[in-house]
Amino acid sequence: MSARCEGSAAGAEACEAASGAAGARACGTAEGAAGGAPVSSARGVASGASAVELRGASFRYEDGDAGVEGVDLVVHPGECVVLTGPSGSGKTTVTRLVNGLAPAYWHGELAGEVRIGGIDAAALPLWERGRAVASVFQDPASQFFSFELAGEVAFACENYGMPTREIVERTDACIAAFDLERVRDRPLDALSSGEKQRVAVASAVAPGSRVLVCDEPTANLDADGAALLASQVAQLKAAGCAVLVSEHRLAWLAGIADRYAYLEGGQVRWQRSASEMEALSAGERERFGLRSASAVALPELARPEDARTSADGTAPSLEARRLACRRGGHTIWEDVSFRAWPGQVVALTGRNGAGKSTLARVLAGLARQSAGEVLVGGRALRSAARRRRVFYGANDTATQFFTSSVSDELLLGRVRDEGLIARARDTLGRLGLMPFKDAHPATLSGGQRQRLALACGLLSDRPVLVFDEPTSGLDGASMRIVATALSEAARAGRTVIVITHDGELAERCCTCRLRMEELA
Amino acid sequence: MKLVALVCAIVGTTCGSAAGPAGAGALAVVALAFLAAQGRWRLAAGGAAVVAVLGVLLALIRFAGLRMAVFSEFHVLMFWNLSPVFLTGWALVSTPPGELSSFLSRVGAPTAVILGVLVAFRFFPTMRAAVSATAASMRNRGLAEAGSVARHPLRTCEYVAVPLLLRCVQVADQLAVSATARGADSPGARGSYHVRKLDARGVAWMALWLVAAGAVSIGGALMDGVR
Repeated sequence: MSARCEGSAAGAEACEAASGAAGARACGTAEGAAGGAPVSSARGVASGASAVELRGASFRYEDGDAGVEGVDLVVHPGECVVLTGPSGSGKTTVTRLVNGLAPAYWHGELAGEVRIGGIDAAALPLWERGRAVASVFQDPASQFFSFELAGEVAFACENYGMPTREIVERTDACIAAFDLERVRDRPLDALSSGEKQRVAVASAVAPGSRVLVCDEPTANLDADGAALLASQVAQLKAAGCAVLVSEHRLAWLAGIADRYAYLEGGQVRWQRSASEMEALSAGERERFGLRSASAVALPELARPEDARTSADGTAPSLEARRLACRRGGHTIWEDVSFRAWPGQVVALTGRNGAGKSTLARVLAGLARQSAGEVLVGGRALRSAARRRRVFYGANDTATQFFTSSVSDELLLGRVRDEGLIARARDTLGRLGLMPFKDAHPATLSGGQRQRLALACGLLSDRPVLVFDEPTSGLDGASMRIVATALSEAARAGRTVIVITHDGELAERCCTCRLRMEELA
Repeated sequence: MKLVALVCAIVGTTCGSAAGPAGAGALAVVALAFLAAQGRWRLAAGGAAVVAVLGVLLALIRFAGLRMAVFSEFHVLMFWNLSPVFLTGWALVSTPPGELSSFLSRVGAPTAVILGVLVAFRFFPTMRAAVSATAASMRNRGLAEAGSVARHPLRTCEYVAVPLLLRCVQVADQLAVSATARGADSPGARGSYHVRKLDARGVAWMALWLVAAGAVSIGGALMDGVR
């Protein structure tokens, strides 16, 4: 514990809670801070009460979107419960019922009972609920109100009008407890996605919340980011915080999750303990559309030249020769050379910040290399020519679509002949997007948008397809659809490069592996 | 304090215009010293370089009869006279949002105004990232080829505008949710992490600014009187 924390009871408590000391009170300062903060009745806990309790909770959205029905769920202090299930099953709605954003922000009709710390949540105004329940969302970057760490972590405390002394104590204690001191002077925009999500969690729990609700917190995180978040959630749990996570990716929660609740069609179908979950067979997982509940390591695959089979083409379709990339006097990577053949699905792996996405953008002609050349189909091509032969599917799909419907998006900029329309229909069907063919791309879920980006790539006629983490926010069923589609594209004679940390995906479809640390 | 500096710089520049380049120069020197005293070294150094170049040009125009085709003497004089305002204005605008919001809550601005200021500050970097991502997707989808842009300028604008507007709406929505979940609509006055009590140095700087602005203004008025 830092000397800074010891200065006051409030700071010490928050530190203690976050660092998981034995017998620590719930996250932050449950029973009121020494600083004289107003302690509302909402935050006092009836002894022995569950932290979160839903009894027959039903919610129907005003705009007709599917909600949830008759949800019974209890989360005890110090327990971590994971909501899982297919996209659109109502996981997010359950998190909104707990943090009060439904019906306060997303209007609709609520029935049944929601109790927070034993108190009927209906009696609490939304801002008090926000103090009892900390919320973390998918995209850390668009949750921030500040450029710098301290301002962001202090944001909620400032909103609650705490005296400056208490705000500073709580903020500094949180920064110390979550090991964020070393990024204090860096702008938030410059942090990695995992560090950003850590800041978002610190900021959410800073006012002393005893319940943490996360809605797909790793959807935009790579594996390193998920590991950073995992240690933080474990710390909060150890400190007595009740944690409720809605999530498709389950592996990062191994060792943290105590119980899993499976939702389908707005109802909780079953609840299983962590050990029961790990014992699920591959067949059962597939039937429920679930991902593995334990970590799946990236498979040890050979380099593309060693992994060639008789089915692969004879001449390499993509070749990098002594590529280098420097930005602002700093070398991201240099002397990168590799070849890939038609028929291969190449996993491009490497630690966070190793420059995988930059390499992908260079290959696709969207960024310029500082040295070296890229050959496609045996010819060295400049970036504009590469763009016509290499498709790049970015991880962030927010700015990738330009039209008002899924089918228009697929046919964008193409001559619409019957053959193309038939292929588009077939691609939509295989990727499970047929029911959404007339939907606006902006109304799709993150996972559906990722599949649409994949569909655009498959239909592009380009011989080389590069995808950046195409399964980061996908449930098990969608991940399997993506894996099959990538394998089929390779069988049709294309070269697929996929940047991934997803062991399950790589196991299913990748035929070889390029390690960034061996390339650069 | 920065606000006082900016107001003094504006008043000094306006009222002291008759004092000529010397008055503006004096205020610019005060502004540069002010920036340096706040530890804004890079800004101070950059500002000093610009002011020095302007000063040299001004001297050449005055005493050596320099004539420039593009950047006329009028422009040199204008930038020279306005340099104290630019410097202090930039110091204010580039203040961390946390300090600005702390100042606003101290002077009793409503929470809605404070959050508005914070959101406005977040907006530009977010949109800059969205613009570059959109440009990359357009090139990737073959929508940014020079030929197609030239043939269908309106359609190209639409391609740029649609994802940007959607992103804008999305970011606004996520920020609103994030603020709501963190007690933005909590009643009562807002607290603040940053405390900037006015210390002796601050008072001294404010006094210096008032004296400098006053001296330049009075000097200007006297010179007017002499003429």
